[in-house]
Amino acid sequence: MAELEKTTPLPAGNQAEPQANGSRTDGSQTDEPRVGVYICYCGGNISDHVDVEAVRERMENVPGVAVARTNMFMCSDPGQELIMEDLRSGTINRVVVASCAPSLHETTFRAAIARAGGNPYQYEHANIREQVSWVHHGDPATDKATRMVAAATGKARLLRPLEPIRVDALRRAVVVGGGVAGLRAALDLAERGIEVALVEKSAFLGGGVARLGRLAPTGEDAAGLVADLAGRVLAHPAIVVHAGATVTSFGGYVGNFKMEISPAPAGDPATGPAAASAQAQETGAPGRLADLAPGDYAPGRGVAAPLLASGPLALETGVVVLATGFADYQPRSGEYGFAEHPEVVTLPRLLRELAARDGQTGNVLLLDGRPIRRVGIIHCVGSRQIPGVHQEDENGHLNEHCSRVCCSAAINAANTIRESWPDTHVYEFYRDIRTYGRGQEEQYARASANKVVFLRFSAEEPPVVRRGTEADGFPLVLGVKDELTFGEDLDVPVDLVALATGMEPGPIPELVDMLKLPVGADRFLLEVHPKLRPVELPVAGVFLAGTCQAPMDAGETCNAASAAAVKAVSLLGRGFVELDPFVAEVNAEACTGCGACVEACLNEGALALEEVETDGATATRARVTPALCLGCGACAAVCPEQAIDVNGWTLAQYEAMVEMIVSDAPFASCGTCASRAGCGAGAETAPGA
Amino acid sequence: MSTPDSHSGVPQGKILVLATESCAYPGADSVGQAHSSYPANVHILRVKAPVLFPERFYLDCLEKGIGGIIIMSCGEECPYEGAYKAMARRLDRIYERMKERGLDIRRVRLTAICTVCNRAFLNEVNQMEQVLQELGATAAA
Amino acid sequence: MDLTEHTFDALVVGGGIAGLQAALDLADQGHRTAIIEKDASIGGKMIRLSKVFPTLDCASCITTPKMAAAAHHGAITLFTCCDLNAVAREDAGFVADVTQQPRYVDVDKCIGCRKCEYACPVLVEDAEQGGFSGRKAIRIPFSNAIPQKAVLDVENCMLCGKCASVCPTGAVVYDQKPEPLRIRAGAVVLATGFELTPIEDKRQYGSGEIPNVVSSMQMERLLAPHGPYGRVLRPSDGKVPDSIAYVQCAGSRDASMGVSYCSRVCCMYAIKQAMLLSGSLPLADITIYYMDIRAFGKNYEQFYQNAKAMGIEFVKAKVARLDPGEDGAVAVRFEDQSGEGVSTREHDLVVLSMGMLPGWQPGEACSVSTASDGFVRTIRPKMAPSLTDVDGVFVAGVAAGPKDIVDTITEAGGAAMEAAKYLAAHAARNQAQGRTQGRTQGQEATNG
Repeated sequence: MAELEKTTPLPAGNQAEPQANGSRTDGSQTDEPRVGVYICYCGGNISDHVDVEAVRERMENVPGVAVARTNMFMCSDPGQELIMEDLRSGTINRVVVASCAPSLHETTFRAAIARAGGNPYQYEHANIREQVSWVHHGDPATDKATRMVAAATGKARLLRPLEPIRVDALRRAVVVGGGVAGLRAALDLAERGIEVALVEKSAFLGGGVARLGRLAPTGEDAAGLVADLAGRVLAHPAIVVHAGATVTSFGGYVGNFKMEISPAPAGDPATGPAAASAQAQETGAPGRLADLAPGDYAPGRGVAAPLLASGPLALETGVVVLATGFADYQPRSGEYGFAEHPEVVTLPRLLRELAARDGQTGNVLLLDGRPIRRVGIIHCVGSRQIPGVHQEDENGHLNEHCSRVCCSAAINAANTIRESWPDTHVYEFYRDIRTYGRGQEEQYARASANKVVFLRFSAEEPPVVRRGTEADGFPLVLGVKDELTFGEDLDVPVDLVALATGMEPGPIPELVDMLKLPVGADRFLLEVHPKLRPVELPVAGVFLAGTCQAPMDAGETCNAASAAAVKAVSLLGRGFVELDPFVAEVNAEACTGCGACVEACLNEGALALEEVETDGATATRARVTPALCLGCGACAAVCPEQAIDVNGWTLAQYEAMVEMIVSDAPFASCGTCASRAGCGAGAETAPGA
Repeated sequence: MSTPDSHSGVPQGKILVLATESCAYPGADSVGQAHSSYPANVHILRVKAPVLFPERFYLDCLEKGIGGIIIMSCGEECPYEGAYKAMARRLDRIYERMKERGLDIRRVRLTAICTVCNRAFLNEVNQMEQVLQELGATAAA
Repeated sequence: MDLTEHTFDALVVGGGIAGLQAALDLADQGHRTAIIEKDASIGGKMIRLSKVFPTLDCASCITTPKMAAAAHHGAITLFTCCDLNAVAREDAGFVADVTQQPRYVDVDKCIGCRKCEYACPVLVEDAEQGGFSGRKAIRIPFSNAIPQKAVLDVENCMLCGKCASVCPTGAVVYDQKPEPLRIRAGAVVLATGFELTPIEDKRQYGSGEIPNVVSSMQMERLLAPHGPYGRVLRPSDGKVPDSIAYVQCAGSRDASMGVSYCSRVCCMYAIKQAMLLSGSLPLADITIYYMDIRAFGKNYEQFYQNAKAMGIEFVKAKVARLDPGEDGAVAVRFEDQSGEGVSTREHDLVVLSMGMLPGWQPGEACSVSTASDGFVRTIRPKMAPSLTDVDGVFVAGVAAGPKDIVDTITEAGGAAMEAAKYLAAHAARNQAQGRTQGRTQGQEATNG
């Protein structure tokens, strides 16, 4: 691959005086732009469609370009080393990398520049993979890549060195949600010396897991696990729990968020997932909740927690961990006979019934006094829905995702039933059995050994639940076209149908609005990248933990919560946070204090007019509070004096990019005319190149 | 497609896309990840929020030889509260000034593109392509 | 020979994606962390993949930034070509006996220029490329390896001296010896990953003897942008395959192979490879023979449905056996569960979706115990999944059971959190006891 690392050394503006590297704050005379252009093959991803060497050659015609190089993988160590060496030798003082989308590697290259002593903000990224080689082919791809790389050099020439904004960070965290994800994250943070406020909408800690019995596949008692975790949270001196509370306002920035919480309105359906109230009805509400003291365990609900008595209560925090959890899918009326036949229940309901009978055995399972001779469990209810096959809900949503936990939960329930009540038979109606986790496949095998009957249906031909006749001898009949017996139509008379309902994100529209949270097509909160930054959101200092992000089981949830906590600890560890310096800056000499920018500013407090003393006289000038500035640029567009601009994204830089997009200069057939500005043909080799 | 330009064989006229960092730009990346092709005269610039650009920026671009501009914003999902409304108001003023100069306002479009709006993205660039074919490659007649 | 000693806050065993993430999350909290890796490069299995599901990002694009971040992190030290002999508790922490295996190259002198590689006359089958192409006896392990230093394969070197004569820095050292290292640390994270189930163990699938039956890892290389052929060809004769089949659960969910568990990633990587294949060979028919499609992760089911919509054929069937077919084809005999019973179809190329086996057995080397599946036992799988039965030793990634990359990275963060809490608790206890020699107190100073 080394032969691909060709180099075009070009003379730059002021090579007579090679500069010491790392001259971040030096005066302007040292800052004559010398742009290094580094173009990536991406192992064929780019070079299969873009003639990378041609682009590199064309950069010879572009003003300000001191050197242009290529590499098989610019992001690799040797690729980064090319850039660092040119910076260290003083050949260049600004960098353009042309490679994949900036979301993947912009930070990689900024970091490399910093390691070489350069200013990481004198960097511009040209996206020639996602926006060129993967969408265009042949000469047009090469030509567009040329223009986009040239445009990047146009901006790079105008980039000034910037320093990150340093913001003192409170070593405090707010965790929103008191399920196992929130509890786990709160404990982790507290044990690393961070003060935690845990905010929970309901009166209980334990969330979705508290509604379960024995957990698949290892059979731990959910109540015991929740009681232990919640007990440690309630006892921890660094954690304050505010239950029965909702977030009512949110502002500030990483290191210094300000949040208000208020008592959740009583009887408001929003105070718990819709499922919770439905479940309370299903199980029969405990009724004596008022008698519970914090720390007491209420079966099916969790550990009672101290309630926020009055509000609003103002919280100041350095980071926020979102652990808002999931809601059980609620079957539509009539879906598999739900709400039409009392013998059709959800699997979560069946699991609670089994939890209430933990340790009991008998010949046949009794439910509401009724012997259950046969139970049919239908999988994928409200999960794996297919457009055109399944009916959308009233808001037009389909749950196309797999809910991940239901197969194991259903099989675990089947084993419990078969082993405790041998005269109760279990029929599982499934599409694919997804016992993926450690120990789960063994439970599946055990179910077969327990004579659980498996019947496989296709999404297009789901089972049908109908009222049984006297001849059937059972109240319900499940009709299915069973793919395991070559598509035979089978009727299975049963006493009970349990619907293995999937997971949906918890209903948190207010939080999504207040914190401006990104939501995926599946309506779960959307991480920055599933592998690069799996527990982070675009808003710095806000992290994701658990099933608000995607369906997970308890162990996976705790992993995610700890992963979020570790990021928060790393962020707060130093007591300050460094922010990107892409904020507005006022040129005080040009500012006339007209206030147009303050008028246009979209974030209250970011811009203000103030009186300043200049040459003994008092004048009005605009002033930016960098930590509050969003960097949107609304101010820059309206300033009549062009006295305010966004660092790193200035209007002049955009104008330069447009100039280069329309310019045909890179395409000039060069030869050795040496007449075009910036063309280096025939000139001396750059030192150190 | 129309006559190839001297260098590249792509349709004449350059389309400039101002794509927001948090929605439309990753949306364009998503089109790339799907390997859906679109005309190579579409040039995408990453912006934090298009509200940065004053009216004169658009007019200057058209004067410099850009044939059409698509502002791909986040729409109502905009992380900068109020920026989309401010942008919509600015667009009205851009159109006024374009009309004053006899420019067809179809050369500038404001739209919302999400991070997975592949089809919408392709529709937008193809529509602008049609506009350029109808009106000519550049606004500077 | 002198025993070299190093002291760190944390020791991470394994430099794959799990180990890298755990080390980064520890180091970002100020803990001085060592990674020991048996291979000549960090990056583990992930850096060897083509693209990764469900985003179809190139694996290299996701792995290299983490590899580079670890390599450049001020608080992380990498030890490659290192075997862990034993790790045991000592005082408040652990001591690891490690053997630094010889590269036969002085890493301080090697500049990674590859002149030795070009000069070397010995060509060897390149395991990094699925055995489909050759490599030299001395070489940089692969294009984006870290560290970018040559390594000499002493089994195949014929000591001709060419590499030493062309090396501009005199870095080739033919008589390098294994060196013992001793690494002390306050906590240990095991991130020892996996190996694929061996193709040889599967007699009914030909034990690796049938031409054009390849493993899923070999297919990763065929699909990789810098793979052995640069495109997908049939290994026996270089034919462009018109029909490709995947045999799922070829090394998993099969008690006869001693692997009764689900390897959890094979469904998704097969679907991913099928999608990549239909991109590079649009005319080829692709069939996946499967028992259950386990597309359970975030956006995985949607990925699977897309594959179906693209025309990839999914046949619910257990493949009974494979046999050589006509003209290099492979005859697939399967029991179709939704059709006609037993049938046979021929495919130009068959890919076995191999499962995962533990990459390391603690055995005598470490007192952590393993579960019946052979992976490290975890004692609190629900509430603290990275805890092993040895206090202060944590586990992350496939070392604790098969896992995909997303789950591995998250678990590595969790393991780093547990290790950091353990270190903090120990430092506090040591301080309370007024002990001064505490090696585990460094992190308190940096975090205080």
